[in-house]
Amino acid sequence: MSGPPTLDLRGKILETGESDYAVDGFHHRYSAGADQVVAIAEAFRASGYFLEMLTCEDRRADLHKMRLVYTFNRFATADRHLVLVELAPEIPGAEAPSIAHVLPAADWYEREVFDMYGVRFSGHPNLKRILLPDDVDFHALLKDFGRIEDAPDAAQPNSESPRDTSE
Amino acid sequence: MPRTFLDIFGNPLLALGAGIGGVMTVLSLNTLFCIWFERKVSAWIQRRMGPMEVGFHGTLQTVADMIKLLGKQLITPRGVDKPLYHLAPLMVFAPVVAAASLLPFSKTVVLTNINIGLVLIFMFGGFAVIGIFMAGWGSNNKYALLGAMRSIAQNISYEIPLILSALPIVLLISAKGPMYEIEGEMIAINGMNLAHITAVQADTGVWFVLLQPVAMLIFFIAILAETNRAPFDIPEAESELVAGFHTEYSGMRFGLFFFAEYSNMLIGSMLATVLFFGGWDGPILPGPVWFFLKAYLLIFAMMWIRWTFPRLRFDQLMTFCWGALIPLSIVNLLVTAFLIKVL
Amino acid sequence: MNQSAPDTLERASDDETYYLNMGPQHPSMHGVLRLLLHLRGEKILDCEPVIGYAHRAHEKMAENRSYIMFIPNTSRVDYLSGMIYNIGFCQAIEKMVGIEVPARAEVIRVIVCELNRIQSHLLWLGTFMLDLGGVTPFLYCFDDREEILTILDRVTGSRLTYAYGRFGGVTMDVDDVFIEQSRAFLVRLRERFLMYHALIRENVIFQERCRGVGVISEEIALKYGVTGPSLRASGVEYDVRRAEPYGGYERFDFEIPTEKAGDCLARFDVRVREMEQSCRIIEQGLTALPDGPIGPKKLIKKLKPPKGEFYFAVESARGHFGMYILSDGSDTPAKIKLRTPSFSSLSSMPDVLRGTMVADTIAIVGSIDLVIPEIDR
Repeated sequence: MSGPPTLDLRGKILETGESDYAVDGFHHRYSAGADQVVAIAEAFRASGYFLEMLTCEDRRADLHKMRLVYTFNRFATADRHLVLVELAPEIPGAEAPSIAHVLPAADWYEREVFDMYGVRFSGHPNLKRILLPDDVDFHALLKDFGRIEDAPDAAQPNSESPRDTSE
Repeated sequence: MPRTFLDIFGNPLLALGAGIGGVMTVLSLNTLFCIWFERKVSAWIQRRMGPMEVGFHGTLQTVADMIKLLGKQLITPRGVDKPLYHLAPLMVFAPVVAAASLLPFSKTVVLTNINIGLVLIFMFGGFAVIGIFMAGWGSNNKYALLGAMRSIAQNISYEIPLILSALPIVLLISAKGPMYEIEGEMIAINGMNLAHITAVQADTGVWFVLLQPVAMLIFFIAILAETNRAPFDIPEAESELVAGFHTEYSGMRFGLFFFAEYSNMLIGSMLATVLFFGGWDGPILPGPVWFFLKAYLLIFAMMWIRWTFPRLRFDQLMTFCWGALIPLSIVNLLVTAFLIKVL
Repeated sequence: MNQSAPDTLERASDDETYYLNMGPQHPSMHGVLRLLLHLRGEKILDCEPVIGYAHRAHEKMAENRSYIMFIPNTSRVDYLSGMIYNIGFCQAIEKMVGIEVPARAEVIRVIVCELNRIQSHLLWLGTFMLDLGGVTPFLYCFDDREEILTILDRVTGSRLTYAYGRFGGVTMDVDDVFIEQSRAFLVRLRERFLMYHALIRENVIFQERCRGVGVISEEIALKYGVTGPSLRASGVEYDVRRAEPYGGYERFDFEIPTEKAGDCLARFDVRVREMEQSCRIIEQGLTALPDGPIGPKKLIKKLKPPKGEFYFAVESARGHFGMYILSDGSDTPAKIKLRTPSFSSLSSMPDVLRGTMVADTIAIVGSIDLVIPEIDR
C-alpha cells in the first residue's frame, strides 16, 4: 500500500511565513485568501492530514481584520501547518467558505467560531450557535464584547447588582 | 393432605379475609426485609457498610424509607392517560397477592389447594405485564413507553422457557399416578397441584433438582427475566431508560411497583423451591422454616447475580431466549418424556 | 432552548419514527450532554449532540487575566485530568517564554500527571461499567481512585482541581512518604488489575455488549480529528507524548498500546493497558527522581511572552489537548484557544451512532470517555 500523496499547496497560498517548531510549535506557516480555504482543506485531506483546530482571532484593533486560524496535523509524524486567513473586519459581515463538507471536524469548529465571533461560513449545513444559548444576541469572544471588569457590578463586589434589587 | 384455610375457617369469606391478611403480611414483611437484605448484600459485595443508622445495623432503614414514601406527594404529571396511569400500580400489585396465595408453604396448612395451581401462578404472572404496559403507555413518556415495550417482549418471551422447564416436573408427577400413596393415604395425584409436587418430593426423598438440573437452571434464568432482575433488568435499565416504565411514578405508587418487584422475586423463588427443592421438605426444622429458608437462598443468589453482572442488550436477551433457552427446554422436555416412557 | 420539539433534525414523513431527548438530565450522560435521537423503535436513525450546558467561558476569562492567574482555570476545564491540563499550560508558557525547568520538577510533573491519568482511566472504567449495568466495578474503581486522590491531595493540597504547576516548576516538593505511598499504590493496583480482568474482561455479557459495537475507524478518526485512546483502539499509534515529546517524556521507556478493532472492547483494552504503561512510567520516575530545586528561586509573577502565535499540545487522558496562544506582548494573553479531545470525539458521534440501538448508544458514549465541561469549556 502506497502512502497518501505528498502535500501540494502550490497556488493555494498567498505567502509562506517563518516558523520554528522548537519555538512556536508550528512546522509550517502560511497565509491564504478566504477563497482558497476549500482547496487547501482538500489538499490536506488528500495527503492524510486532519484538521487539528480551527479558531478565530479578533484582530480589528491592530490588523483591522478578523483572522481565521486553521491548524492541520497528521498522525504518523508531527507536521503542524498553520494557515492564517484574513477576513473583513465587519461583524456581522465577515464571511468565509465552509470546509465542513471536506473535513467534517470543521462542522463544530465553524459553529463555535460563528458562536463566539460572529464570522459566518457560507455553505455550512447547520450554522447555529453551539455553546451559547440560541437566543442571545452577542458574540462573546469579540474584544468589544467587553472585559469582565467593565461589567457594572464587578468593580465593587459587595455592591448590590440591579438584578438583586428588582426581585 | 394439607388442610386449606377453607377447612380451618369453614366460612369462605372468613377464609378469604384471613388469606388476604396473611399473604399481605408475609409480602409486606418480605419487601421490608428484601430491600434491607439487598442493600446489605450489595454493600457486602462492594465492600461497603450499607445502611447502619436506623436500628441495629440499619434493620429499620426500610421502615423509615416506607414512611417517607407514604408521606410523599403523589404527583400526576400533565398529559398522562389518567385511568391507565392510576390503575397500573394496582394491576401490577394485585396479581402478586393472588399468586402468593397458591403456594404450599407447609405440610399441614395451606391457603388454597387447587389442582391447577401451577397454571394459575403462571397466569397471574402474565397479568403483571398488562399492568406494566398500562404504566408505560399511560405515563405519556417515551422512556416509560420504551421500557414497557421491552418489558412486554421480554416477559412474554421468557414465559415460554419458564413453562417449558416446569413441564418435566408435571410429567414426573403424573408418571407416578394416577393414584399415589402418601403417608398411608391414597390420593388421586395431579401434576399441576403444587402441594402434590412437594409431597412427592418429600415422600421419595429425591428433590427434582437432582432429576432435572437443566430444567432448574432454565427455570431460574427465566425467573430472573420475569422479575426484571439484572442481568435482565432491561425494562427499567437505569443507565438507558432512566427508570423504565415507572419513570413518572412518585410516592407510594412507585412504592407499589417496588413492592410488586420484591414480591415477584419471592414468589418466583418460592415456586422454584416447590418445583425443584422439595418445598417444605427438610430435617429437624419445621416445614415453613425450610420453605422460606430455601426461597431466601434463591433470592440471595438473584441478588448476587445482580451485583456482579452487567446488563444484556435487548436483542441479545431475545436471542438468548429464543435461540438457547427455548430449544434447550424443549429438548429437555422430550428427553424427560422419552425416559419416563422407557424406564 | 425549545425542549419538546426538535430543533434541527427534520421530521420524517412516515409516523413510525420519533425523537428522544437523551439528556441533559439523564443518569448516564456524564454530566449535561444532550443527545437528540431520531429513532425508529429502538434503532437510531440520526443523532445530534447538543452541547453548551456547562459552558463557563474559560477562553474569555483567559483574555481578562494575566498568564499566571489562568493556572487555576486550566484544571477546571477537564476536572478528571486536571493535573495534565494544569502542568500542560505551564509547560506551554515555559516554552513560549523560555523558562528552564529543574530536572527534579520535571520528573515530579511526569509522576503526578501519570497518577492523574490512571485516576481518570479508573473513573472511566467505573462509569463505563455503570453504563453497562454493572454497579459493583464502579465502587471498586472508586476505591482505587481514592488512593490516588489521597496521594495527590497530600502533595498538591487538592483532590481534583489542582493548581500545582508554576512557571518553571511546581509549588510543593514531594517527600519520601509520597514515594512510599506511590510504590505501595502501584503494587496494589497491579493486583487489582487481575481482579478487574476476571470480573470485567472475562465476563461474557461484557464482551458481547462491547465487541463490534461503535467502531470508530481510522477514517472516521481522521475526518473528525478523534485522538487519544479512541484513536489508538483503531490501530493508529498516535500519542502526543511520543509524536511531540514534551516535559521529559522522551527519557521514559513506555509503549503506546494499540488495538485493531476500534470497537468498545478495543477502547477498553487500550485504556487498561495504558494504565499499566502509566504504572511503568511512574516506577521509572520514582527510581530516577533526582535531587535539586523544584522551581525558580523567585516566583515568576510578571512575564511578557514575545508577540505571535504559539501552539503547544499535551496528551491528556482523553487525547490531544492543544493550546493555541496568541500573545500581543503584554502580560495578558490576547487569546487562548483550548483544543480539547472530547470535543472532537463527540463531534464524530452522529457518524458512529447511526444504525445502532439505544442500549448501544450508552455503551458507545460511555466508551469514548467524555468529560462534558471539557467539551463546553
